[in-house]
Amino acid sequence: MINITPLIPELFLLVMAIVVLMLDLFSSRRTVVVPAYVSMAAVIITGFLVFKFGGDAVRWGSNAIFVADSFSQFFKVIILGAAFLAIGSSFGTADRMTHHRGEFFALLLFSTVGMMFLVSAKELILLYVGLELTTIPLFVLVAYQKTNRASSEAGLKYLIIGAASSAILLYGLSLLYGYTGTTYLNEIAQKTAVYFLSHGFIPNAEGTTDLVGMGPAFSVALMMIIAGLTFKLAIVPFHMWAPDVYEGAPTPITAFLSVGSKAAGLAAIIRIFDGMLYAFSHDTMPNDSWGTMMAVLAAVTMVAGNIIAIRQTNIKRMLAYSSIAQAGYILIGVIAASKLGVASCGFYMFAYMFANMGAFAIVGLYAEKTGKKNISDFAGLSKTSPIIAALMTMFMLSLAGIPPLAGFMAKYYIFAAAIEAGYTWLVILALLMSVVSLYYYANVVRIMYMVDSDNKHHIIPSFPAGLVLALTGIGVLLFGILPQSILDMAYKTASSFIF
Amino acid sequence: MEAYVFYLFAFIIIASGIAVVTMRNIFHCALMLIFCLFTVAGLYVLLSAEFLAVVQVLLYVGAVAILMIFAIMLTSRLAGREVQLSNEQTFVGGFLALVFALGIFYAVNATYFVPSDAVLGRENSLAIGKLLMTEFVLPFEVISVLLLAALIGAIIIARREGN
Amino acid sequence: MDIGLYHYLSLAAFLFAIGLYGILTRRNAIAILMSLELMFNAVNINLVAFNRFSGSDGLSGQIFALFVIAIAAAEATVGLAIVILIYRNWRSIDADRVNLLKW
Repeated sequence: MINITPLIPELFLLVMAIVVLMLDLFSSRRTVVVPAYVSMAAVIITGFLVFKFGGDAVRWGSNAIFVADSFSQFFKVIILGAAFLAIGSSFGTADRMTHHRGEFFALLLFSTVGMMFLVSAKELILLYVGLELTTIPLFVLVAYQKTNRASSEAGLKYLIIGAASSAILLYGLSLLYGYTGTTYLNEIAQKTAVYFLSHGFIPNAEGTTDLVGMGPAFSVALMMIIAGLTFKLAIVPFHMWAPDVYEGAPTPITAFLSVGSKAAGLAAIIRIFDGMLYAFSHDTMPNDSWGTMMAVLAAVTMVAGNIIAIRQTNIKRMLAYSSIAQAGYILIGVIAASKLGVASCGFYMFAYMFANMGAFAIVGLYAEKTGKKNISDFAGLSKTSPIIAALMTMFMLSLAGIPPLAGFMAKYYIFAAAIEAGYTWLVILALLMSVVSLYYYANVVRIMYMVDSDNKHHIIPSFPAGLVLALTGIGVLLFGILPQSILDMAYKTASSFIF
Repeated sequence: MEAYVFYLFAFIIIASGIAVVTMRNIFHCALMLIFCLFTVAGLYVLLSAEFLAVVQVLLYVGAVAILMIFAIMLTSRLAGREVQLSNEQTFVGGFLALVFALGIFYAVNATYFVPSDAVLGRENSLAIGKLLMTEFVLPFEVISVLLLAALIGAIIIARREGN
Repeated sequence: MDIGLYHYLSLAAFLFAIGLYGILTRRNAIAILMSLELMFNAVNINLVAFNRFSGSDGLSGQIFALFVIAIAAAEATVGLAIVILIYRNWRSIDADRVNLLKW
């Protein structure tokens, strides 16, 4: 018999997802308001439950299957925050749909539940099932605008790439299972660590009976796991799906994809790499080749994301490349593999959530009102809607990492962690790339404020969209000036790792 | 004896697998896929995973492949015709796949995997049933949610709207 | 010669590569989905073979494979639904020709 107390937040959100489905069935189909508000309330209550029932784990024997530790709590807050903001900015999108509005929110909640399982999973099968529960509803949500060709095409592309990356990840996991004969992460970590600590990093072709034999297949397994997971995070060279999918998907879903699924994938990477590989990478491998490999990935990602973003004219594509670049910065924190590294990853994701969700909310609002999606269309926005323009400026500058906004503190901590771990060259490159990124982020601001146009569109957000903008605006400002409370929380999350 | 059966199965799997990715008639590809998946089920029997073999036949051969054939018949007026199914990347794709295959082939064969002394018993299916209700009950429940979500999603996407 | 773990692993490696080749070179969306099924089957052969020859804790490899089969079926269902939707809007399911967005 397993203990289900730590699962209460997930179970609650699941029940509410089904309630939302039922509500749509029984209420009049005229309005989108009921399922949307019920979903938002459900997400908030789940957030409280996450804290109320934290700290425990579902175990089988001595092995944890599902842990509600402070690390998963922190990432669940980010995931739930992204879900809340995505639902809040979906009212307009959902209102214009002629069909299946309730299911839209139910699928979004299903995907959120999947992410929550993913960040808490300590067992490979649950990890995989959580990953798929995250992505399968997202395939549908990306293709949700059925009469829009770009949306369907994006859905197909996301599904093919998503399934292919799952297959690669699974192949890596199967080899890992073959090595250790277990699917529990803590047993895998123990068996690999014991081997490394006693034998060093030399492939042993004979093997011994009580230890796990290490050989080239172990490296292949880890490389395939990295490849499979970085696909989800859109790290170069596995990024090519992101711009098209981000552009084609409904805007609130794009925002959710870029924050929620990124946070969940990041948590899985941290769990596998910092939680498991750390045991040998620092003590026994002289030149830390895994760290170097990931560092090269991060470097290429930052350079490619930022430079290609400059050339974009469509704002959603620009934000897609920007989010690729942001994933590169986040990866630096993973590589640092320290308490500060994990904490800075968490804080970065938190700050990124506010700025990115806010920016996408404005893009969505603007496209709803005007039907325009190019950066140049934002000309004159400062005259017609000064508050929206000011908020957009804040989000752009936070993404670029300008003080005193949250994005600055986030980059600061990431860089501090990397310097502490000895990756000075990576920090110098990241700083250079931040300067490059300022070019295209500031370009949006320049167009809004400096370029005149005969644009007469006055953007008045609806109540939920206004709430989203207010929350994200406050978040970007508040956590830039007073980052300490969140950083302390993020710091506590690292306690579940052996550093 | 087991060796002959294995090599026969391996030959069928590889040959029909290659046919799936190279044949020019999509309908023939689907038939080859069924053939391939059926043989994989035979492989599971050799590996004393009888329950899995039955599931493989029921789910893959019985459901997924049939679904594929339905989709082919629904979507193409060309079900019986030969069309260009491959793009211009055959050379690059073939090279990458070959490098990949040889790389993994080398890696697994150069690695020592600790052999197990456990013998899989005759009551595998019973044991799997018990494990799904005890140790793996959590992923088992989560996957039921996943199937619900996939069901709803597929209906939403594939349904023709009334207007 | 005895058939052991390495035979199965080698077979799975080649089957996986065949699926990979299909994904890279096919342009019909249904053909790509078929290639994906080959890759998932290669993973399952790996899992079941490890479970038979080197898994020390009972049947978790077979159970993993069971989950992979179920999820691959769910993925195929959603994928074929999207394919049918695209066919209705486009009259084509070429992954290359349907290029409103660049591949």
